[in-house]
Amino acid sequence: MQDMRHIFSIFADYLSQYFKTRLAYRTDFLGDFVSNLVSELINLIFIVVVFTHVPLMGDWTRDEIIFIYGFFLVPYALFSMFFGFWDFNERYIIRGEMDRILTRPIHNLAQVCLESIAPDRIFGVITGIIIMGYAAIQLDLSFYWYDVFIFIGLSISGALIYGGVYTAIAAVSFFSDSRTGIAPMIYNIQQYGRYPVDVYNKAIRFVLTYVLPFAFVGVYPAAYFLRKEVWYTYAAMTPVVAVVFFGIGLLVWNWGVTKYRGAGS
Amino acid sequence: MIQVNHLQKDFRIHQSRPGLGGAFRDLFSREYKTVKAVDDLSFTVEEGEMFALIGENGAGKSTTIKMLTGILTPSDGEIVINGYVPFKQREEYVRSIGVVFGQRSQLWWDLSPIESFRLLKSVYKVDEAEGEKWLERLIEELEISPFVSQPVRKLSLGQRMRCEVAASLIHKPRLLFLDEPTVGLDVLVKQKIREFLRNLNETENMTILLTTHDVSDIEALCKRVLVMDKGKLIFDGLLNDLKEKWGNGTEVSFQMKKRTSAAALRQALGEMPCEIEQINDFTLNVKVARSQEMLPFVLSTVMSSFEVSDVKIEETSTEDIVRNIYSSDQEVRSHA
Repeated sequence: MQDMRHIFSIFADYLSQYFKTRLAYRTDFLGDFVSNLVSELINLIFIVVVFTHVPLMGDWTRDEIIFIYGFFLVPYALFSMFFGFWDFNERYIIRGEMDRILTRPIHNLAQVCLESIAPDRIFGVITGIIIMGYAAIQLDLSFYWYDVFIFIGLSISGALIYGGVYTAIAAVSFFSDSRTGIAPMIYNIQQYGRYPVDVYNKAIRFVLTYVLPFAFVGVYPAAYFLRKEVWYTYAAMTPVVAVVFFGIGLLVWNWGVTKYRGAGS
Repeated sequence: MIQVNHLQKDFRIHQSRPGLGGAFRDLFSREYKTVKAVDDLSFTVEEGEMFALIGENGAGKSTTIKMLTGILTPSDGEIVINGYVPFKQREEYVRSIGVVFGQRSQLWWDLSPIESFRLLKSVYKVDEAEGEKWLERLIEELEISPFVSQPVRKLSLGQRMRCEVAASLIHKPRLLFLDEPTVGLDVLVKQKIREFLRNLNETENMTILLTTHDVSDIEALCKRVLVMDKGKLIFDGLLNDLKEKWGNGTEVSFQMKKRTSAAALRQALGEMPCEIEQINDFTLNVKVARSQEMLPFVLSTVMSSFEVSDVKIEETSTEDIVRNIYSSDQEVRSHA
């Protein structure tokens, strides 16, 4: 537990360093800020336009689907903010940066996450909330005060599910020193989590619930806020699934670290 | 402080077949070769020792140092350092060690060293007041204050290297590992770093281990030397003993006033076990084994029998010794 506290305090330090480096290139920083804002805006318009052409999907109305999509963006943004080590294999394994990580007294996964942190992804959260707000008004949804906390909890859980799966995949790099091509495949599968699962056939639904539980990042938790009682159990299971899958990811990672071979130097 | 017993590290290396056809066959059946990077290594180190690990490229130095720092998990054998098993209790263990990899930076590229130090201080949970005082000392002794606020990417290699050393010491470790710390540095910077390390060893009783290809590093810093070859430890002892074992002895070059032949010199020296080499009509080299008190005898005999205009005494450098070790064949090695 003390370790966790340490990680959080370091997190603040890294974050401030991140902004310090970014601010060192002043024009860059402003440019990035604006381009992020614009790209999220375009995204938003795109989503609304696309979904206006989809009146119904299974038992779900258009606005419900928009809401799910908006919800999905929040855990996804959190995930990509903290688990931004897309180049893990290249940077840490092939170039041997992992050596340095392993000689520092913080859990190595936390260090890798902190070093590749991408705070600008926070815009995804804002976009998601705007989309949800729009859908909620259209659907005339009502919320309780505690829904805020449930929302935060479910979003973090969703991010952890992604994080767990992603960590396990990244850990494959420890075992083989060749570049891995699994990430794009997973990327494609995770897209399915954004839409109501009952429109898919049974096999895909099974995969999205139990094998690569991306449905817990989008549909299931969103169903709680849409007051779809059929899905309440699934929504309630989200944190459990998060703990289990993140745990698995961490285990595979830790096991991988013992197999780390280092880069020749 | 460091205890290493029968340490072993095997790597399974995929043997790829040549050509495109070979690559296809590799898809289905792969051939692996097991390479013993480190083979049955045992040694102990006391607190406050300063010692060097040398060997050719690929002798297993880096692998050894990576196992000692907890980066790699040994295939077999045990390591206990400061009471920790490095790869098992990694996070506790690394608090007590500092590591400098000459080829790899631990500073943040876009930050100034001073910011990196600050960040490292919170990573290592260094006490604020004490840490500040220690850091001031590091900055002063390594003479890095003129550029400590510039971004790392703008520093020269020598400047950066000194900052690297400071960064690795931020938490005042008991044990410092340096993996080829002086590669590519100029003489002045090398000297500065060496002086600093020696001072650190004396005042803080810090144990220092370095791997190097630069023999002058060893001569300047270490009493004890470990020599590795093909994963095995072939020598563990004092630098002086190393010189005795593999040294060529001492070479004395006499410049005569008159023409002198090797035979005449031989006659004067009698049965003396030494090698005489005629360089030209006036110059003769005499090689004697080291430390057998023969040098004074040779000198006095030659001086009294011939008219000598100049004498030059050359001891085999450690560099020659290392070359001897590397190029010597197996039978010499088995003596170790």
